[in-house]
Amino acid sequence: MNLLVNKSENNFEQCIKCTICTVYCPVSKVNPEYPGPKQSGPDGERLRLKNPDFYDESLKYCINCKRCEVACPSNVKIGDIIQMARIKYSQKKPTLRDTILAHTDFMGTLATPFAPVVNAITSAKPVKKILDPLLQIDKRRNLPKYSFGTFRNWYKKIAEQQKTFAEQVSYFHGCYVNYNNPQLGKDLIKIMNSLNIGVQLLEKERCCGIALISNGFIDKAAKNAKLDEQEIRKSVLEKKLPVLTTSSSCTFTIRDEHPHLLGIDNREVRDEIELATRYIYRLLSTNQSNIPEFNNGKLKIAYHTPCHMEKLGWSYYSIELLKLIPKVEVTVLDSNCCGIAGTFGFKKENHETSKKIGESLFKQIEEGGFDLVSSDCETCKWQIEMFTSKKCEHPLSILAKVLA
Amino acid sequence: MKTTTTASTHTEPWDVIIIGGGATGAGTARDCARRGLKTLMLERHDIATGATGRNHGLLHSGSRYAVTDRESAEECIKENMILKKIARHCVEKTDGLFLTLPEDDLSYQSKFIESCQAAGINVQAIDPKEALLREPSANPTIIGAVLVPDGTVDPFRLTLSNILDAKEHGAEILTYHEVLGLIKEQNRIIGVKIYDHVNKEEKDIYGNIIVNASGIWGQKIAEYADLKIKMFPAKGSLLIFGHRVNQMVLNRCRKPADADILVPGDTICLIGTTSTHVPFEEVDQMYVNPEEVDILLREGEKLSPSLVNTRILRGYAGVRPLVASDDDPSGRNVSRGIVLLDHEIRDGLEGFITITGGKLMTYRLMAEWATDLICKKLNNTTRCTTAEVNLPGSRLTKEEVNKKIISVPSSIRESAIYRMGDKAENLSCNTDIENSLVCECEEVSAGEVEYAFKELHVNNLIDLRRRTRVGMGTCQGELCACRAAGLMNQYSNLPANKCKESLSVFLNERWKGIRPIAWGDTLRESEFTSWIYEGVCGLNLSEEQLKNTKK
Amino acid sequence: MTFDTVIIGGGLSGLISGIRLLQNKKKCAIISSGQSALHFFSGSFDLLNFLPNGEKVAYPQKEINKLIKNFPEHPYTKLGENEFNKLTEQAEQLLKQVGLHVQGSSEKNHFRITPLGELKPTWLTMPQFAITHNDSLLPWKKVCLINIKGFLDFHPEFVSEAFKAKGVKTEIQFFDLPELDRIRKNPSEFRSTNLSIILDKESSREKMIEDFSVFSKNSDALILPDCWGHKNSSLLSDVMKEIGKPIFLLPTFPPSLIGVYTQQFLKDCFTKLGGTYMLGDSVTEANIKNNRVTEVFTKNHGNIPFKADNVILSSGSFFSQGIIADMNKVYEPVFSLDTDFLEKRSDWYNRNLFENQKYQQFGVKTDNNFRGLKNGKPIDNLFVTGAILNGFNPIKEGCGAGVSILTALYVANQILIKEQTYESAGQ
Repeated sequence: MNLLVNKSENNFEQCIKCTICTVYCPVSKVNPEYPGPKQSGPDGERLRLKNPDFYDESLKYCINCKRCEVACPSNVKIGDIIQMARIKYSQKKPTLRDTILAHTDFMGTLATPFAPVVNAITSAKPVKKILDPLLQIDKRRNLPKYSFGTFRNWYKKIAEQQKTFAEQVSYFHGCYVNYNNPQLGKDLIKIMNSLNIGVQLLEKERCCGIALISNGFIDKAAKNAKLDEQEIRKSVLEKKLPVLTTSSSCTFTIRDEHPHLLGIDNREVRDEIELATRYIYRLLSTNQSNIPEFNNGKLKIAYHTPCHMEKLGWSYYSIELLKLIPKVEVTVLDSNCCGIAGTFGFKKENHETSKKIGESLFKQIEEGGFDLVSSDCETCKWQIEMFTSKKCEHPLSILAKVLA
Repeated sequence: MKTTTTASTHTEPWDVIIIGGGATGAGTARDCARRGLKTLMLERHDIATGATGRNHGLLHSGSRYAVTDRESAEECIKENMILKKIARHCVEKTDGLFLTLPEDDLSYQSKFIESCQAAGINVQAIDPKEALLREPSANPTIIGAVLVPDGTVDPFRLTLSNILDAKEHGAEILTYHEVLGLIKEQNRIIGVKIYDHVNKEEKDIYGNIIVNASGIWGQKIAEYADLKIKMFPAKGSLLIFGHRVNQMVLNRCRKPADADILVPGDTICLIGTTSTHVPFEEVDQMYVNPEEVDILLREGEKLSPSLVNTRILRGYAGVRPLVASDDDPSGRNVSRGIVLLDHEIRDGLEGFITITGGKLMTYRLMAEWATDLICKKLNNTTRCTTAEVNLPGSRLTKEEVNKKIISVPSSIRESAIYRMGDKAENLSCNTDIENSLVCECEEVSAGEVEYAFKELHVNNLIDLRRRTRVGMGTCQGELCACRAAGLMNQYSNLPANKCKESLSVFLNERWKGIRPIAWGDTLRESEFTSWIYEGVCGLNLSEEQLKNTKK
Repeated sequence: MTFDTVIIGGGLSGLISGIRLLQNKKKCAIISSGQSALHFFSGSFDLLNFLPNGEKVAYPQKEINKLIKNFPEHPYTKLGENEFNKLTEQAEQLLKQVGLHVQGSSEKNHFRITPLGELKPTWLTMPQFAITHNDSLLPWKKVCLINIKGFLDFHPEFVSEAFKAKGVKTEIQFFDLPELDRIRKNPSEFRSTNLSIILDKESSREKMIEDFSVFSKNSDALILPDCWGHKNSSLLSDVMKEIGKPIFLLPTFPPSLIGVYTQQFLKDCFTKLGGTYMLGDSVTEANIKNNRVTEVFTKNHGNIPFKADNVILSSGSFFSQGIIADMNKVYEPVFSLDTDFLEKRSDWYNRNLFENQKYQQFGVKTDNNFRGLKNGKPIDNLFVTGAILNGFNPIKEGCGAGVSILTALYVANQILIKEQTYESAGQ
């Protein structure tokens, strides 16, 4: 019998008020303005059904980390309820700052051709000082660097060569790989090729919409999602190629947020969208002879589980892959939110909260004597690199480096 | 505490003593007090514990009675319009739909519409598609729909508002005072023998007119005067769902039958009712049985299919105070009209009248009739004003009240105004501690609990629930009961062990309603509640309570 | 994903068997569908306080035979007297070994103090919590009960009145910090978990010492709600030293901090020993071949199954959805194991909430080795432990934690013995 029988739209009624969710909410711990997941989610939903006036703008403090859902013993989709309420009831209009932060792809397109200049400008103190009062982007925040030229542009050069592999997969690279860190995409291709698999890109790709959703641009997010869905269907259903990803947040958004928040029916293809680490783990565990050779790592690595990775439950695969490196020592850090939550941590009003949420994580990283931190999420990387003295790398980038 | 003051301080006889603290008793107390009579109201439990608090909370438009009982229908629509004005904080103007399902006879609809129009009820047939747009939760297979001016009314708030108005006009209200007998002198009733359950003492109180407004229990009161009023107890069971599925009242457009009304009310909605004749001896012990639950769910689903996936909070049953007029076994053909008995004329017994029958909708009219008769007997010529003057709570608009307590956190403010209307301005809300939540499901603050204990005749946690909705939400007291018990100790001057006793009684009373529907998530929640209260806290019934339950 | 043992359910029972197996170098994974009932822990583990017929038990080791003789369905009866006594000792040792220091022993029950001031018999209690060894006598002449100003989940008045009835004088005081005003601003969030974050800060130490010295002037001991000392374990002992009086804690309303702490502590033991803990995942399907569970599928891992030699089902009672009640039956949702329940729903309950509720004894049927029964036949490698089992009433008998821990250890021991036998047979 299936435990997960969909109990329809009244999922909030499965809440039996045990209040466990509030224990694990990273925001409740540091921000008293936030009414906590139980009150904002199932309790609030019931009141909002009586009268929408019960919507409280303080729901905006929810960072959609889903840790409440992971903790809930009643399968209540607390985070989903809160997200949906924000979409349905919020009256607040997004600011210019939110618009800029939300449109990761648009900003990337503008910035990458002039990356050296843009990076220099956005990291310059005077500019940050202007961004702070003007756009309410905190001046203490290091802004993401843009790459000089996009990943897609680079890929064109190797597209033909990739076709020569007998086996093929598709790759949804996301905004981060395309505009900020094409190296991660290159690393993925290197590893896949070592397994004799070629990597193709989707014909077109739009931002998964995670930042659009959290900043209130639902129509735009839905439009993107529809286009992505078409491309994914083409790959999975027509070309019979699974769609691999490298960002835990994009993956989670496409698989689980698109259907319930944006009304995308992805049932036919959902299982074929997965993190590359999961794909590789399965490949290696079904055929041991496949395991590529790695050079000695001699590294002490701390693995940080991003919130959406915790929700997906897939950190196991990344950790197991890292353990394949000879002489590597992998420590799994306590699963705690780092505090950045996508664009949340960039906003001036959230800077302190963001830092406080991550405090115990940063402490554990600093005190552990690690060489390196590893994580499947790009925004966690930014946060960890900003608030600790350690570098943070994607597991695949680490693997690619030691590939023999 | 205010409620424990007794009537013994009055040596003079009262003008009127009203027995029964339901809507009718409270309404009569209000009317009498407003006309300048020295009024005492006695209630053996808490206010609104009989049929008043155990129905749908439907603000009838009268359309439901139009086909079978035109007189009741006419009374209903008139009172409906009055209540929408004078008791607007107790009322929601939701409107209602009478739905014809494929299995129903569509020809009943035209008869229904004609009868409504004849009774002066403004109804209108609408296209089923439009009906579904107005009320998306309605069964999509409907073949007919009629829009009616139904609404909802909160009987607890309504009764309380009447009591507050009566008190403002000098009436005295004594809850937990049970009438044990009537004092008779020759052919006149001159007073009542009462038992004060709070101070545990008996006493006699005298009055010029004694009003029997005790609903179904009126039969027993009459027996104290050796009179016979034959009541026809008809049990009706209802189920409460965990949230508001529908925003409009949904009725079946057919002859009244089981489970044909789905009423939204505050945070919940409820389906009812069944109807079974029960022996009079059982009227104090009403339990919802599994067969009734089955019927209510089966029929309810036809009105709104989403009820299948909606959590049930509890079941409860009440007894309609019908006055028997024939021996119809179902009780459905008994007249629901108002019965006013002047026992001087009917039985040759002076100083005693009975007001019964009727329904929640017509409580005010019943009170007016009774008070008219009382005034006639006392040569009082003041006219009735209860239809014109707004009840306490309904005197200011929501915006006006909102301004007065703007410092209260918004969700608490919203809930408090919804529940108390302009009386919300009295709740203690000056400190963060007073604004902290006691009941998280229904947003009841510590300040509201304090106000209720100090001003609203609250003797125990069950009374508190009727005033504030503490424990009426989905957790049924699991989180808030203990908090409320602690505050009770603080605000009521009762010793801690009495508050602890009140806590176990409260939880047991909640369990009574949960038991008929305790499966699924509800059973999970019950198990959790038992772990917390019996396991972690070691709560049990006190020895005295155990003895009583064994009885 | 291949393991020696896969445990379904990450509460007390699942963690104990997992730790025991990991200590013996077995590769284990726990699949946990959300956090466990340990979050409402009173700070004490009960072993056996009453027999099912209501008879009081003061010396569990000595009196266990009375239960075994008369109640054949009880999990303790399946263990038998020797095993029961051996396992209680093993449990006490294991907790000590992993660093969970508790007071009490299975020879004689002691009494914990509830948030309402009642005394309840129990087996093992966390060290900071208030206990007494005699149910008519408290170990103090006068105590000071302290609450945090505005905290609604603890009411010292109840404790005070109960203590007075036992001849102990009491005084109630309120503690406050300016920093707490920040949480008070939000009407719903003045909870033990949020309070403890502020109360455990070093900055509160000075105010505590200052206030507590005044409060304790005329008292032998201070009693506080459980909102202190979990993040900052030395805080309470330091304050005690400063004021020269003992401080004890009482559990509060949910979520219980001691519960959160205990859950995290045991989970950390499990993962530090190399266990894999999958939180927020639930089992959707299992394959059974040749009367053995071969693969377990979950919501998160989809087409990548868990494979293991042995599977332990510790998925809890109704609360954790180890068993589920619908309108007319009680079922076990993962393997559809045989369940024990009464046919008529109205027989499940008692009208008095505080009387014996039959539904609390419902659960999964097993053989005497705690292997789950399906259609009357045990599944070779599927063991069942803890609250999901049938035949006992954890609340009325005060045996919930005991059943969870003892059956978990028993099953882990069985698995270890079985494998030793295989190994030696193979040699």
